Amino acid sequence: MKIQFKNIIWLLAFVLIAFTVQSCEDFEQFEPAGANSKADQTPPMASFSYSQGQGDGEVWKDYTFANLSTSATTYMWEFEGGGTSSDVDAEFTFPGEGMYAVSLTAFDALGVVSVFSDVINVVEPEEPEAIVPEILEASFEDNSLAGGSGDGRDSWRNSALGGVIQITSSPVQNGSQAAKFPSAGDRIAYQELSVSPNSDYVLTYYYTLKTNNPGSVTVSVLADGGHADLATALAAKIEDFEGTDQTSSSNYVQENISFNTGANSVISILITNQGEEARVDNFSIAAQ
Amino acid sequence: MKNIIKHIKKLNLFVIAIALFSCSEDFLSPAPTSVLNAATFFETEADLEAALINMYDGIQGVNSTQSNDNHGIQVEFYLTEMRSDNTRTKSSEGEAAQFESYSVQPTNGIVDDYYRSFYNVIFRANTVLAHLDVATPENLSKIEGEAKFVRAYAYFNLVRLYGDIPLVTSVISTGDTDVQFTRVSTSNIYDLIETDLSTAIGGLDNSSKLRASKAAAQSLLAKVYLTQGTNYTEAQQLCEAVMNSGFMLEPNFKNVFYNELNNEIIFAIGYQEDSADSQNFSAEWLNAVGRSSGVNYTTADVRIALDALGGDRTLYSYRVDTDQPTQFQVVKYLPEEDTALGITSTVTDRTKAGNDWIVIRYADVLLLHAEAILAGGNTTTAQAALDSFQLVRDRAGLTTPVTEITRQGLLDERRAELAFENHRLFDLIRFGEAQNVLSAFSTATGGSFNATDLLLPIPQREINLSLGQLSQNQGYN
Repeated sequence: MKIQFKNIIWLLAFVLIAFTVQSCEDFEQFEPAGANSKADQTPPMASFSYSQGQGDGEVWKDYTFANLSTSATTYMWEFEGGGTSSDVDAEFTFPGEGMYAVSLTAFDALGVVSVFSDVINVVEPEEPEAIVPEILEASFEDNSLAGGSGDGRDSWRNSALGGVIQITSSPVQNGSQAAKFPSAGDRIAYQELSVSPNSDYVLTYYYTLKTNNPGSVTVSVLADGGHADLATALAAKIEDFEGTDQTSSSNYVQENISFNTGANSVISILITNQGEEARVDNFSIAAQ
Repeated sequence: MKNIIKHIKKLNLFVIAIALFSCSEDFLSPAPTSVLNAATFFETEADLEAALINMYDGIQGVNSTQSNDNHGIQVEFYLTEMRSDNTRTKSSEGEAAQFESYSVQPTNGIVDDYYRSFYNVIFRANTVLAHLDVATPENLSKIEGEAKFVRAYAYFNLVRLYGDIPLVTSVISTGDTDVQFTRVSTSNIYDLIETDLSTAIGGLDNSSKLRASKAAAQSLLAKVYLTQGTNYTEAQQLCEAVMNSGFMLEPNFKNVFYNELNNEIIFAIGYQEDSADSQNFSAEWLNAVGRSSGVNYTTADVRIALDALGGDRTLYSYRVDTDQPTQFQVVKYLPEEDTALGITSTVTDRTKAGNDWIVIRYADVLLLHAEAILAGGNTTTAQAALDSFQLVRDRAGLTTPVTEITRQGLLDERRAELAFENHRLFDLIRFGEAQNVLSAFSTATGGSFNATDLLLPIPQREINLSLGQLSQNQGYN
């Protein structure tokens, strides 16, 4: 009886050991490392965007970084030229202009890592200077266009607004030709210029009028281009000057028209006359 | 007996004949005569007029405390002002408090409410556009312009709040899942907004303040350009077109809000007090008058700014909550009397307020005009910009001549002028200051702001309905 009982105990012990050994193999699959470990199903993906500071003084050196990483819990920012941060989003002030590497390392809780790097070109924004437009055939000279072409008035034609101007060789204020507007007043000169919006300009020109009849010559600065109707063109006037100086038919008078371009990136110059023959010469424009 | 059978046979034949005739299609599927029906409803321009009104009804939203109703613009302040440094909940309770702490969940009901409300507005606008064939030739462009203004307005709000969103440009049904659940890049959404607004400008006039108008479309397109940082000169021209349309600042700042449809209003959503067309946001902003214990209460941050920069506006911007004197309420859109401020009210039930919601007013356009001239730069001294800026400041009693406008100065001026009118968050984002300002604000108030909080989550309900086709915004799970 006693022996039988002992045998059963032995048998039980053996079975228990056998099970334990067997089960240990199963345990191994829960070991963290090794051939059987599972991949991270949602690995982190690092990403960021950035924007330059806008404002007075040195604010252009200040950059803000927006963290766009996914499936990550902790972060490490590194900025070339020194500087790290473990915040989610980062701010950094660069020492000056130049190319700087920025990298964001994103970690998840399993220690999986993703790195995203970018090189930032830090440039101080320049104060935009007003465009200085070029007035073509400004002095109504022959062959003054690019490539040596032009009859002195090609750039001033607009048949929808009026007839083409004539050219005179005497009197002139500059060069050897000037524009001539016969007394009938049915001819115009028109030219469009590209300008900076909301900028101050001064348009300078010279005119002279014959003295037989009362008359005038008007230079108008018009908003926008594409004018095809005289009345609507004149209604789009930004600024104008009506020259009526008839003290001499041969001496030119200088005029300056100051204007602000307002909400226009294109303006037009329109010249009209009435009553008496007029001569106009030597246009120039300057940004203030 | 035989005779009877004969008769029965005849009768059978007769019954069969009748049965055959009666089975014509008309009889089995008659057009309903007592109810309206989408397929047959649009027969005349009057039907189209009803559909136009229906769009504004959608923006107006339902005045109810039912979470399942579409509350439209009545809940907009949660997603805009309360997500800025201007306002917060009084008691940090419930899902409304997720906004001020920048811990908005995709399951937030208000986020879903606004999303489905404004897609419903888009559906209503698309319904009008689908039936333009019944419009008379003389009114066609006006009706089309009105629907396209409303559609552009809805998309402009949605794209700024949610980022890439589905682009629905026709009437769709529940089966059209590809359109409903495909996110389209913001630049494509803005393309539609710009063409819709250009069409609206061409077709509309300035005959209404409670419906789409030419000036409203011009103002909105100017803001769309400024939001994208493009077309500054066009934006300036649009503002100048509005400035030449007869609007003017209301001399007394208080009357902007308490003299409805005054000269300053360009576009407002109308409400009628004590009626089904009333609103409840005014009551929610009070102490436990609406469903909440009080939301859209002012932050210390905005009060400091208003005290420093508000001039005459400060008095009519916030007030002490007399029930809880450490708290401060918004004064704009009060649904009750305030004798100290000279504000009267005729509403009997404050949760059925009649205060119109101002979407676009002239002061906003004047400041947009200055912003367009600034054109992304840091300062401007252009006289046209100074003139517009000065008009707004003069009305506030700040009459010292301004000789230069800076970006920061303009942003501050907009905050003081337009506080609690749902502009602040969009202004911060447009000026590129949102991350700076809100992370500092959030640190000071114990919130958890991240850059990804500048977009709301796509509502979880939409993602569930899409069976995972619709992706979530960064920073939300």
